[in-house]
Amino acid sequence: MAIEQSTQSSNLVDVLETVLDKGVVIAGDIRVGLADIELLSIKIRLIIASVDKAKEIGMDWWETDPYLSSKAADENQEQLKKENEQLQKRIDALEDKIAHDNRFI
Amino acid sequence: MDNLIYLYGIVPENEISAAPLPSFKGLDNEHAAYTISINGINAVVCNLDEAGYKETELEKKTNDPQWLHEKAFHHHEVLLDLNNRYTVIPMKFCTIYENADSLWNKLEPLEQKIAEQLKWLKNKEEWNMKIYCDDEKLRESVAAHNLTIEAKKKEIEEMSPGRQFLEKKRLDQLIDQEALKEKETFSARVHEQLTEMCEDTSVKKNWNKKVTGRNDEMCWNSVYLLSTENVEEYLSEIKSLQDKWTRDGWHLEITGPWPAYHFASLT
Repeated sequence: MAIEQSTQSSNLVDVLETVLDKGVVIAGDIRVGLADIELLSIKIRLIIASVDKAKEIGMDWWETDPYLSSKAADENQEQLKKENEQLQKRIDALEDKIAHDNRFI
Repeated sequence: MDNLIYLYGIVPENEISAAPLPSFKGLDNEHAAYTISINGINAVVCNLDEAGYKETELEKKTNDPQWLHEKAFHHHEVLLDLNNRYTVIPMKFCTIYENADSLWNKLEPLEQKIAEQLKWLKNKEEWNMKIYCDDEKLRESVAAHNLTIEAKKKEIEEMSPGRQFLEKKRLDQLIDQEALKEKETFSARVHEQLTEMCEDTSVKKNWNKKVTGRNDEMCWNSVYLLSTENVEEYLSEIKSLQDKWTRDGWHLEITGPWPAYHFASLT
């Protein structure tokens, strides 16, 4: 049987439910209404789970997907530009060659 | 810029003077925490910039799950640390006052009550116990050990094949019902057994699987306030219950000691 200190993320709901809803209330001057705690816990757990999972399986596709990362989009543009220039050079060279060859036929 | 005051909790005068508050950063991760001591009431607080934490700003912040996650855990970890060092009356998350005068105006009328609570909470610990249940295992064990179901099974064996089919379906439903009953009676029995050694208890809501992220069902969730001297007995009782019932699909989970969030009260 595991006896746990209550800070681990497995106890996320407990910590949230306890500190957001329990504890002594002496009306403060600044009032804050908190959203539904169950819903909040689910949201937070999903955020934690997705980040953990992504790290675990080395998933970083959003960093290279131009739809999700502007840096990736810029890099993509740059690469296309280079490719374009190279292709243009090759076409020019080929055209030159053809023109040159024709002269001697 | 004006400062607001964030209140974590209240600790006894004699304990804080014997062991001064360790230094740590407050909720905004900038201002250091400190104690305000007036007339024997010692409040553990930190300052917050008004611009960032006035009501409208705070509302924006609390709507951000990531902020809330980080800060709720900050509050909790501070209270856990205080609880390890002192007797503490833990406040609810985001108890914030406009200034020290305002805080004092709220606390002063509660002076007597605060002293009584601190005295009552001294040498007591809050523990949480949850019971989870593997439904499949429980169904198997109910089907194997429940007398009503045993009798029904024998009855079915004597029937014609056609009726057997229908009756088996009904038997499945009966097993479901008995399993549900067993969940309630098992948990209530465990709770009752533990209650005997506690100062106070409170039964909480069960969370569904979406909230817990577990595969097994939570069927009991409760908190116990114990005298420190009874904690060992309480934990070993839970351990022996766990050892006894694991095979039938029960899992008892225990966390603590928590600050007395569920039992401290100033009303």
